[in-house]
Parts: sequence; C-alpha cells; structure tokens
Amino acid sequence: MTALIQTDNLCRYFQQSDEIIVKAVDGISISIEPGEFTAIIGPSGSGKTTLLHMIGGLDKPTSGDVMLNGHNIADMTAGELSDFRRDHIGFVFQAYNLIPVLSAEENIEYVMLLQGVDAATRKKRVAETLQEVGLSDYADRRPNKLSGGQQQRVAVARAMASHPDIILADEPTANLDSKTGIALLDVMKELNETLGMTFVFSTHDEKIMKRATRLIQVVDGRIELDEKKSL
Amino acid sequence: MLTLKLAIRNLLRNTRRTVLTAMLIGFSLTALILVDALMLGMLDILVNSITKNLVGEAQIHRVGFRDNFDVDLYLSETNKIRETLDQDPTIAAYSERVLAGGMLSSSYNVATGLMYGINAASERQVTQLPDAIIEGQYLTGKSGEILIGDELAELLEVGLGDRLVITLSEADTSELAQTLFRVAGIFKFGIKGVDKGVVFTNLDQARGVIGLTNEQSHEFALRFTDRALATLPDTAVYQNLNTSEVETLNWLQLNKPIASIIELSRFASLIIGSILFILAGLGVINSMFMSIYERIYEFGVIKALGTRPARVAGLIMTEALLIAVISCIAGLILAYILGAYTSVHGVPMGEYQVSGIAIDSRILTRLEPYQFIQFPIYVIFLTLVAAIYPARFAARIVPTEALQRSL
Repeated sequence: MTALIQTDNLCRYFQQSDEIIVKAVDGISISIEPGEFTAIIGPSGSGKTTLLHMIGGLDKPTSGDVMLNGHNIADMTAGELSDFRRDHIGFVFQAYNLIPVLSAEENIEYVMLLQGVDAATRKKRVAETLQEVGLSDYADRRPNKLSGGQQQRVAVARAMASHPDIILADEPTANLDSKTGIALLDVMKELNETLGMTFVFSTHDEKIMKRATRLIQVVDGRIELDEKKSL
Repeated sequence: MLTLKLAIRNLLRNTRRTVLTAMLIGFSLTALILVDALMLGMLDILVNSITKNLVGEAQIHRVGFRDNFDVDLYLSETNKIRETLDQDPTIAAYSERVLAGGMLSSSYNVATGLMYGINAASERQVTQLPDAIIEGQYLTGKSGEILIGDELAELLEVGLGDRLVITLSEADTSELAQTLFRVAGIFKFGIKGVDKGVVFTNLDQARGVIGLTNEQSHEFALRFTDRALATLPDTAVYQNLNTSEVETLNWLQLNKPIASIIELSRFASLIIGSILFILAGLGVINSMFMSIYERIYEFGVIKALGTRPARVAGLIMTEALLIAVISCIAGLILAYILGAYTSVHGVPMGEYQVSGIAIDSRILTRLEPYQFIQFPIYVIFLTLVAAIYPARFAARIVPTEALQRSL
C-alpha cells in the first residue's frame, strides 16, 4: 500500500545557546499508511509533539523530508503550508482549541469556510459530524458552555468535517477525565473503523495505546520501538 | 463575511477594552474638530477686527505712503480711481481718506497720533466706525468735529465737547498747521494702536488742514461684495489699479503679522491633530497588542487550521476598522453637540490680545462640513496605519510557538 505519510531522516534541532543544541527529533524515518490508528508515545520532552508538528506542517524540519500524499512539506512557503494544512490535515490539540467566539457548529464550519465549501455542503457536513460525535443538541453553544469532553468532540468533528487526509491529535485526552477520554477515543476509533480515517496521536495515555493499531515509541528524538499490533 | 463576524465578536468579547479604545479615538476626533472650530472662531474675530473696523478688505495708496505715512505721497488722480471703483461690480463700497501724523494737544496733555479725514457717509459703508462709538455721536459733517479713541481720550484727559488742537505738517510745503477741534465722540475698536493713537475728522476739513485739494487723498478703503475676493490675486481691481505709482493691497498684505498668525493657525490644527493621533495611534497599537497576546493561542490554532497569514492580518485590520468607524460616529456626535453649543454660547478664553487686537473673553466656535468629512477619514486612515504593526505581528505568529506558549 502507498504511504500516506513518509518521513525521511527527519531532524529538528533547537539552538538553545551558542553551545547547546537540543535535538528534539534526530533522524526519524517512518511511513504511515491510510487507515492507521497510530500512537506516537514517549516520555515528556522525547520529541513526539515536535514530530507531530512537522508531520502536520506546523514546524519545518532542520533537515530531512516530510512527504504527505506525495507533497514534500519541507519545500513549501508559509502560505502554501497554510493551504496544505487547510486542505489535507485535521488537528486536535490538547485543550482549548476551539475559537471561543464561535458556536460549536461555527467552529466545525470554520475550516470549510476557508476551503470555500458551498453553504449547503457545509450545513450538511456540520449536521453529520455533530451527529457522529453525539453533539447535535449542542450546535448553538459556544465553547464556554461546553464541558471539556464536549469541546474535544467538537474539535474532532471540526477536524473530520473538512475531509482531511489525516487527523493529527496532540495529547487529546490529557485534560479530560478518564470516562470522558474513553468516550472521545471511542468516537475517534469508530470514525477510523467506519470511515477509514487515518489518525496519528502524540500521547502517553494508555487508553490510546490500547486502541492504537501501531505504536511508535520515541526517546530522545529517535525511534526506540515501532510495532504494529492487531486488536 | 467570516472575518467580519470574527472581528465583531472579538470586539464584543472584551467590551471594556473596546470601549476604552473607542473613547480614546473618538475623543481625539472630537478634540480635533473642536480645536479646529475654535481656531476658525478666533480667526473670524481677527479677520473681522481688521476688515470691519479700520482697514477694510483692501486699500489703495500711493506706493511708499505706508512706509511712514508721508503726507506728500498722496493720490492725485482720484477721479480715475473713483470711476474705476464705481464701475467694478465686485466693489460693494469704498471710502476715501486723508491721513496725517501730528501732535494732539488738550488743555492737560500732549500726545502724538494719526489723523484720519473721512467721508462720514461712505466710511459707514466700509467699516464699523459708527458702531465703535461708545460716547457721543458719529461725525455729522459739521466743521470742527473729531472722534477720539477711548485710551487716547484718557491720556489727553478730554471728554465730549472738550477742545483738542492738532498740529501737523502741510503736504508739499511742510509748513506747520494748527486746527482746533471739539470732541464729538469717543470710540473703542479694541485694537490698541487705533484706540490709543487715531482720531477721525471730516474729510473736507482734514484736506484743508493738510493742504490737499478735493482731487487729492491718501487712501481708499474698499469693501468687496464677497470678502473672499479680497485675497484673490486676479480680482479685477488689483489688475486695473496697480501701477508703478499706485498700489492696491488686500487686508492680509496690509497686516503681515495677522497674515502670519492665520497661516500659523492653519498649521496649529495640523500640529494638534498630529499630537492627538500619535497618542491615539499608540493607544490603538497597545490595545491591539493586548488583544493579540490575550488570544495568542487562538491565533496559533487558527493558523494551524490553515488560516493564511494575510487573513489573520485582515482580521486585525477589520477589528481596527470597526473600532475606528464606531469611534468616529461617537466622536462626530459628541463634536457636533459640543460644537453647536459653543458656537452659540462661546468658549470662555479670558481676555487677551493677538497682534494688538483684543480677543473677546468668549470665542464662538465655527463648525464646517469638512471637519465632519475629512477628519473622520484621517482618523480611520491613521487608526488603520496604527493597526498595521500589530496585524503584521499577528500574521507572523508561528503556530507551534503560539500553541506552546499558552500550554
């Protein structure tokens, strides 16, 4: 199968001072195929979030390449990267990742507005995704009127409504209680299984690890373990 | 539409900051309009003091006469001048005068002064001398009448009906001549130099004292049908009368210090406006940056979602535009209310003099349409200019840094 994401000897170094260079990601080469439910795991500071950011085009590598659906992210300008993220990648962040002045449905609609999707399609997709994450009754509510779990579900709905190639989730359950986290993961797992949507997580949450079809362990910016598992 | 919706909601999100920023911009606009209206009011007083009191809107002299009021430098072909003025449709009225400096003696004191010989009837058409009479009466044409300024009257210790002797040099011969007058009226223009150093008497008698014929005079003071014509260089009278021997000067040319003040006052509004808007601009920048720093995580999120830098900058510029428009509406309403009130009741400024002209204790402001059209455009433009820096900053926010900063 053709790889959806391919990184080749990917490096990201941060110059902390004249003498200290932090190697957040140090020569990672991975290949992720469509439909995977991958968890990048590792201790804090291991480089998993930096890796996720580079895969998503939020950060540029010091060296190496990131190929997403055949596009090399490293070669793109800031504007091209914006367009690329808008059209190909869905993000779910750790917390507070909704736009507070927009309602749940407006948040979901946001990326589609940037994409120029017509109003009828937007409305249809918003209704569908809200239903899929179980928040149809909360469409008009602004983020401050939603619980943490509901906010993350809206974020997932926003990420999937724009029909990205991949959804990148950076510790999506970190700020949620266990029960809410499980409920959110169930939603994402269902989307993965029913719609074949590709998810890549950066996490050290065991609940995600249990559900993941592939675990990539990163330590000190390098891959320590890369295993696929059958559930 | 998305940008506008976000901008409106972002402004409503922190209403206190939005209102404070709007007040800063709005009050600056109000202040600018009122300062300009006050300047116009003060200029009105200055210009009226000149054109309606003694100078008129323009004057005709023999070249060189104004240097030291030499009685020998008189206009000799006044018939031609009168004919030209009578045929000129832009001239509403004119007054012929003779002038001579001399010594004024009362029973108690002596002073130097300038004697104006005027035609009582035509002078009334050009200046407001009759209105400046505070005691006694205006000239009636009788021999021996003289009008004296209140400060000069005080100096010479004379009152109505008192005798006053003028000693001066006759034209051409320089022979000394003396004539006795009786004070018929006391005037007060509020122009120190006039109130303390000028007397008015009838034209024919003055001619006789100075030794001029009926065809000779020193000055014509003019009033145009429209005051604006006076300062236009291509107005017919200047073209028709100016020769190598005769000069026709408008009121601005006759009052160089006042002309400088008027020119300066035009810059005053600009200077005050610039200072106000530098302050307001800094306020806008500060407010915008506070707003950006408060929302830095959101900017990280929307950029991560694929919002282009230009759209992020556009959001900040739209917020600035909305604040500017709201501020201008509020500022214009306030300026109109205050301006309308002060245009009737005046602004108390205390008594002071500008270039020898007493300014009333209250200045009536003058509102003009341009203040309500041009100034808000400047304000909106400058607010947008002030917002460019924060907008550029927001557009350059790196998503990864913004997301990390708030986590």
